[in-house]
Amino acid sequence: MEKLRRLGSIFLTFFKIGAFTFGSGWSVLAQLEQEYIQKRREISKETLLEIMTVGKSVPGIMITNVSMLMGMELAGPPGGIAAVVGLTSPAVIILSGVAYFYNFIKGNFWFAAAMKGVSATVIAIVLSAALSLGREAFKEKLAIIICAVAFLLGLFTDISNILMIAAGVVIALIWMGVEKAGEKK
Amino acid sequence: MIFIELFISFMKIGFTSFGGMSMVPLILEEMQAHGWMSAEDLTNLIAIAEMTPGSLGVNCATFAGTQSAGVLGGIVAVAGVLTPAFTLTLAVGIFFAKFRKSRVVTHLLRVIKPICVAMIFNVIITLGRDTFFPGAGVDFYAIAIFAAAFAMLKFFKLSIPTVIVTGAALGLLCYGIL
Repeated sequence: MEKLRRLGSIFLTFFKIGAFTFGSGWSVLAQLEQEYIQKRREISKETLLEIMTVGKSVPGIMITNVSMLMGMELAGPPGGIAAVVGLTSPAVIILSGVAYFYNFIKGNFWFAAAMKGVSATVIAIVLSAALSLGREAFKEKLAIIICAVAFLLGLFTDISNILMIAAGVVIALIWMGVEKAGEKK
Repeated sequence: MIFIELFISFMKIGFTSFGGMSMVPLILEEMQAHGWMSAEDLTNLIAIAEMTPGSLGVNCATFAGTQSAGVLGGIVAVAGVLTPAFTLTLAVGIFFAKFRKSRVVTHLLRVIKPICVAMIFNVIITLGRDTFFPGAGVDFYAIAIFAAAFAMLKFFKLSIPTVIVTGAALGLLCYGIL
């Protein structure tokens, strides 16, 4: 019973944060920090930093990975599941409503005009995200070469993105093997 | 079956992406392969996802799933995109201490991050072609709105929702009134 109440409280907290936090994963993170570190003091700052690093490096959506790990820190695996389901439920409810509404309004002249402007804006948003991601990724020469090769492959061949990532994983593993062999000598 | 297809598609997207905009190229590829969404729908969706609560990945999954197979489709797609969190992250959480010392992940990210950046640039080219050069012509309004939006983001540091609302207003003005 005690345990169920604990899971319910985790679910509700993450649900609230999921419902009222706009923008990227970082603003969600700021809310979680306020709730569990400053207010309730249930997780230490160091633990959150570690969770963030791990959450970013596991595939998938950063903020749901972070929620999973935070929930687990609070109440084991069931806590993690309660946190992820709590965080994503509001988005699912809102977006399925939006999806229905979108079909309804899609043919409207004014909506279409506004959305044409929005499309051009979105390209700017994606570009600025790509530039800041690039700044973070291009810390070494090799990264720039990898990016250029992948870019040209994507542009001139119809190799799929998933195949490209898979190839990246293989290259990374080989690279690591070579470095390890070098260390042994 | 559409539900299984949706689940598998979004599971693939989940496992091969690292959140945020890096998901866009993968989503576009899967959506077009299955005919679930056009590039235009996707740019609209990115705008909607940026203006509603929730992460881009979850919002895209819900929207695409609902569009192609109703509410249940949305739930199935979200379950797919969350699979990495429920499997890999769960495992990592259990072996947290060991995982931190492992160098595999740092190495993986050193290669995969630049690939993600390249994929995003390719998507920008695809989307730009549709938006700036529709048919055979040149859409100067779209190019001007793009330039204004980029300046608002980079030089004036305005928030993304503000920039999107401004873009919508400019769209109304350019395409609706002029």
